[in-house]
Amino acid sequence: MNCFRSLCLGLIGLAVASGVQAGEFRLTVDPVVIDTGEFTRNGIGYNGASPGPVLRFKEGEDVTIHVTNNLSESTSIHWHGLILPYQQDGVPGISYPGIEPGETFTYRFPIVQSGTYWFHSHSRFQEPDGAYGAIVIEPKKRDPFRFDREYIVQLTDAHPHAGSRIMRNLKMMPDYYNRQQRTMGDFLNDVEKMGFDAAWADRMDWGQMRMMPNDIEDLQGFTPLINGKSTKQNWTGLFKPGERVRLRFINSSAMTYFDIRVPGLKMTVVQADGNNVQPVTVDEFRIAVAETYDVIVRPTDDKPYAIFAESVGRSAAVRATLSPKDGLVADAPEMRKPPLLTMADMGMAHGDHAGMDHSAPTGMAHKMPDGSTMSGAAHDPHAGMNHGSPPAAMAHKMPDGSTMAGAAHADHAAMGHGGSGQPGDAFYAAGSGLMPSAANGGKFLSYTDLRAMRPLYPDREATREIELRLTGNMERYIWSINGVKFSKAEPIKLKYGERVRFKFVNETMMTHPMHLHGMWSILDNGKGKWDPVKHVISVSPGTTVYMETEVDAPGQWAFHCHLSYHADSGMFRKVVVEGGPGDKRAALKHRHGG
Amino acid sequence: MKPTQTLRCATVATAALLTLSLVIPVAHTALAASMPGKDHSHGGGSEIGMPGDPGKVSRTVNVVMYDNYYEPEAISVKEGETVRFVIKNEGSLVHEFNIATGPMHKAHGPEMMMMVEHGVLEPDRINWKAAEAMQKSMGHGMHNEPNSRLLEPGKSGEIVWSFPKHANLEFACNVPGHYDAGMVGKIKLSH
Repeated sequence: MNCFRSLCLGLIGLAVASGVQAGEFRLTVDPVVIDTGEFTRNGIGYNGASPGPVLRFKEGEDVTIHVTNNLSESTSIHWHGLILPYQQDGVPGISYPGIEPGETFTYRFPIVQSGTYWFHSHSRFQEPDGAYGAIVIEPKKRDPFRFDREYIVQLTDAHPHAGSRIMRNLKMMPDYYNRQQRTMGDFLNDVEKMGFDAAWADRMDWGQMRMMPNDIEDLQGFTPLINGKSTKQNWTGLFKPGERVRLRFINSSAMTYFDIRVPGLKMTVVQADGNNVQPVTVDEFRIAVAETYDVIVRPTDDKPYAIFAESVGRSAAVRATLSPKDGLVADAPEMRKPPLLTMADMGMAHGDHAGMDHSAPTGMAHKMPDGSTMSGAAHDPHAGMNHGSPPAAMAHKMPDGSTMAGAAHADHAAMGHGGSGQPGDAFYAAGSGLMPSAANGGKFLSYTDLRAMRPLYPDREATREIELRLTGNMERYIWSINGVKFSKAEPIKLKYGERVRFKFVNETMMTHPMHLHGMWSILDNGKGKWDPVKHVISVSPGTTVYMETEVDAPGQWAFHCHLSYHADSGMFRKVVVEGGPGDKRAALKHRHGG
Repeated sequence: MKPTQTLRCATVATAALLTLSLVIPVAHTALAASMPGKDHSHGGGSEIGMPGDPGKVSRTVNVVMYDNYYEPEAISVKEGETVRFVIKNEGSLVHEFNIATGPMHKAHGPEMMMMVEHGVLEPDRINWKAAEAMQKSMGHGMHNEPNSRLLEPGKSGEIVWSFPKHANLEFACNVPGHYDAGMVGKIKLSH
């Protein structure tokens, strides 16, 4: 017994002496070259690479992370989805001042959760430029599902332009990157042909009309990557036929949602945003910016399978390969036709024109692509509005049914989107052009399919409701909340111990992935105590979505749309939590349920 | 058998009977009565074995159900052996212990999905009212197969099963998603 004790003490002594202990990490923030096989660009990475290294933590341990800034500008690292003290959250101006060039900042926090997460810079456009990486946290108890091997599948939308350049261009011309219309090259050709004024006027007209069908992707012209590799570079993961493979999907894009499938294999979703869900088997799922999904697949044939991620706007896709042996490449499927937004998606977007008066829609005329003009009064503010708690049976009537028959919507009908027989997803406006459908006609995951494995919090009534209207002005590329951009807004004040119900009302035509730092977002999808616990809530155009937060993290936190160029242009708020665990008043309120 | 073992067997048997009577409530004899007529691919064919004679039980295997896996992960039996399975659900969700072949488990999936859609199968409980309603409208609601037990959290059940000579058997849970998440184990048949 004595011998054993000495041996243990000796080993502990060794560990302490070596300097970097279990749970201690070193990261450097470096200029790197991004090479997608389609283009190269200067970017930013961690430990000399983009994506950065995978950080592996254990639930229950304390971690120490030393971050050294080798850039010539200040930087930061935010641990996305992690519950930790607010000073460790990595948001300049809210958690700390940031990390200056040459400085080393040491993060220290306990790991109180398990699952798949990620980390990224929260400074300027460093994340779109390549500053992101994955976090895998091993659980204390075994996972409630079985797998034989696992891979991280981390997506991004790498662009040949640097993030700061993209922001400048979007501010100058919001449809600058809308490739599916016409390009700068086309514009210059037109300038030559018809003179600058005429060409410009034509683009402005188009600017108003194209607001309808093609606002799905602000940013096109990107090359999607999986684990840093494009289709050409073909990231490959090996498997033995019959094995269960766990795929940890992380969407680390700046702006792009992807529809994911593995042709020939069903996927069993077991975690969403790091939290266990009751397993649900699907053929395809959509992953919002900053979300994570863990799925199990079971490839049984001795052949390569494609992991295929198609952008929701269908402007680009990436294929990675799951293979029984090296050197095999799975065929990449054809991309599907780009969807068109419909009247239902416009349901609450009363104006993307100069001025943000959302209360008086009368007098605003919209010119339809087929040339007819729709008066502002035709916008029933309740048309297409969807509430987060869906009824059992979904009706698919159009807001004003006659317009669906219009010539402009013929393509849309032919594409078989929306209410063509596939049960609608309650988190899209009825008749939405964005309604997802599985490429093989099978099951497409919906938020309504997600149920927590084990509720994190007791189910109780919210103590109050806060409404956040998601707003924007496309003409000037200003995105905001309640019509007010971040720099002009008051912080949102919450009280420790309360349970707040957030009501997101999307008055724009874009889908926004809303991310609250430091505290969980309990999505209200009508499952009561089984409501899933997430950190990103995606809100589709023309819909209202509810989520609730137990306010149990003191300090101040960021709360923003995770589309990089939206967050930077104002769709951002600071949340201040008043009080803490020692606050008697808050504790009383908490006990009595508010 | 030793007196204490007899007592324990009797207790287990009584407990099992009591639990079974909870799983198949008297009020739902209508359900039970309609079962034999239904064309189930897994009713009691000799392909998978058949309900065994409690008097011929050679041993008892304890199976614990968790979210979403079994302990033990695999079971070994002899061809022709009669085994008593004592199943306890220590998870927080409803789980099934079902003896069948892989394809039969797959075929069972849609039925369980229907039970979910009709509100009979909730995540952590079985809704008897909804089962009655489903029985009335569809002709079957609460499934009662001799080769399976569907148990709420905390509940126990028992199956006495006589195994065939040759078969490729698995024990599995067909609550939607559970089989795919890995809640399945091999039954190894040996001479």
